[in-house]
Amino acid sequence: MGFWQRARYIDRRIIFLLMLLGVGLPLLTNIGLPVRVTRDVGNVYDYIEGLNPGDVILISYDHDTGTLPEMIPMSDAILRHAFSRNLHLVGMALRAEGTAIGRQNFRRIGAEYGREEGKDFVFLGFRPEITAAILGLGTSIERVFPKDDRDIPISEIELMNTVRNYGDIALVISISDDDTPVYWVNYANARFKAKVVPAVTAVMATTFFPFIDSGQIRGMIAGLKGAAEYEKLIKIPGRAGRGMDAQSIAHMVMIGFIIMGNIAYFMSRKGK
Amino acid sequence: MDIGFIYDYLIASERLGIWIAALLTLAIYSFLYKDNPIYRFAESLLIGISVGFLLVTTFETTLMPKAFEPLAISFTGIFGSGGFGAFGSFLWLLVPVTLGLLMFTRFVPKYAWMSRVALALYIGFGAGASIPANMQSYILNQIDATIRPFLAIDSFAAAVNAAVILVGLISTLSYFYFSKAHTGIFGKAARLGTFYLMIFFGATFGYTVMARISLLIGRLTFLLRDWLGLIS
Amino acid sequence: MLIQFFIPSKLSSSVYNEITNWAQLIYAFALIVGVFGLVKYHLGRVSRKSDGWIYNLVTVVSLFLMAFLGFAFGRKDGGAFMWIFNYFQAPMQASVFSLLAFFVASAAYRGFQARNTEAVLLLLSAVFIMFGIASVGNSIPPFAEIANWILMNPSMTARRGIFIGVGLGTIAVSLRVILGVERTYLGKE
Repeated sequence: MGFWQRARYIDRRIIFLLMLLGVGLPLLTNIGLPVRVTRDVGNVYDYIEGLNPGDVILISYDHDTGTLPEMIPMSDAILRHAFSRNLHLVGMALRAEGTAIGRQNFRRIGAEYGREEGKDFVFLGFRPEITAAILGLGTSIERVFPKDDRDIPISEIELMNTVRNYGDIALVISISDDDTPVYWVNYANARFKAKVVPAVTAVMATTFFPFIDSGQIRGMIAGLKGAAEYEKLIKIPGRAGRGMDAQSIAHMVMIGFIIMGNIAYFMSRKGK
Repeated sequence: MDIGFIYDYLIASERLGIWIAALLTLAIYSFLYKDNPIYRFAESLLIGISVGFLLVTTFETTLMPKAFEPLAISFTGIFGSGGFGAFGSFLWLLVPVTLGLLMFTRFVPKYAWMSRVALALYIGFGAGASIPANMQSYILNQIDATIRPFLAIDSFAAAVNAAVILVGLISTLSYFYFSKAHTGIFGKAARLGTFYLMIFFGATFGYTVMARISLLIGRLTFLLRDWLGLIS
Repeated sequence: MLIQFFIPSKLSSSVYNEITNWAQLIYAFALIVGVFGLVKYHLGRVSRKSDGWIYNLVTVVSLFLMAFLGFAFGRKDGGAFMWIFNYFQAPMQASVFSLLAFFVASAAYRGFQARNTEAVLLLLSAVFIMFGIASVGNSIPPFAEIANWILMNPSMTARRGIFIGVGLGTIAVSLRVILGVERTYLGKE
């Protein structure tokens, strides 16, 4: 077997190790590569910036714990923006694990801004069936969530007295690692004209460009990069921005793998 | 009676949690070297914990407030001041609960057919809800967005983009149309469709790489910062 | 199967609300049924002492422990249930997903060869996105613009084609279900 032949079938653990170094080393240093804000993230920011104090944003945590490193920075940045603008927040989850994450996030960031649960924000809890839950919220939030996550009846929560359905909600943000925001678009937007924004893992990003093009969604925040852009917009550094050096360099390593893989492929074919 | 204080003591020790999380992370990563008992232990533990979590969350946040508590309230109401009205709402609530409980007949082969009643209702609901939504969101809005740019062409670039999108849509749809053999002009359109699809898959792969690296960044940040304290 | 006929027709809003409520409850019960099925499977393997049964036992024990903690002490922040969630479940789940970073790297090296036109398009598109979206390339205008053009034009329209295809397919299947032609979901021919 020639050199290129061997190079093609290199032990994959060597690739793993290079990948580990490609991400790990930039984390240990602080290069501070620039982050440019894209149009889609800018649109989300501008829309929230244009809301009036007291307007309500519904944030749904439609994800599991597997993708937390992408989800939490997005959630943190959005919550900080909303709380700093004195907006009211209603949280919920269409995934069981998202409930625990969302509730903790709401309380953690709420505390940073001295916001009160029940008055400035409320976390409703988890509903398992996506379509039925999204459709149900269009007629009555109280029917879908008779009680909030603390087991307090909705009718006894101050904030919820004025929030009955999508008509009282300025924006719906689905923080998701799958195609749940598509359901929000198909049911909440198409049927009830709710304004929807997906904050999704990068894996899901390409799914939503047709909706951006057709104007069915207001913008999109995609992955750690999207979170880093949002952090830049609200001028509060967070975990996403820190990770961007590693992200950038790891992408170079990855492109390097593709180039090397192709060189090895063509050279080994030529050698035959 | 709250004996949670026993746990509160343990929980106060966040440091312990971080150590456990770090060791479990390394146990999962040991798979990269090769499959091994430590990895399999962690994997089994993960399945058990996450299913347990799902069970408790579903039961406590959905079934309790939406089924069992209202059932109990209306049931006691029958004997209290509720009277006939309470009896009615009790029966009305009993319907979905019974349908839900019928799902459990799946475990008894002889009565398994009963679970289909609930399934039929559920599938019927999904089918009914999906028709208008799909029509509006997937079809009408998307076709509208493809054609509309032609009405507002103000530059050469806009014309090219509108054409790229329209040609792409027609050719991609040709590729997915299997009722006609992919030959002749139709075959060429279908082949062009595969080119468009490849560009889409490439873009999605690019984004997937981005996402997976972000997750790795998250885990390594945890190990290097929270556990080892190597970065601030 | 008559029930199906009721659902898509013009329902009065109250019946519609009831149905959406029922669907949520039935789905919640279905999740619990799924959990029972899983427990049954793992217990079966433990009792038969099948290969690797000890791992099945780990799964069952951790499931019961989690259920016990959740039901007995609640899901409050700072409780044992949430502690296990935060320090066992979340980091492990995230670690499992991040393993994929290594496997996509391996796939990029071994599987991404420019063998024909399709493969070249796939490869170029992937490289432009990786470089132009979340990398130094994003700060170099031509690269960022090319990546954005790919996303908003050829890639977007292909995804739109998939949406329309899925939309038409879903409507067709839904109509078959409603008209009672499609019964495979009930385990019938």
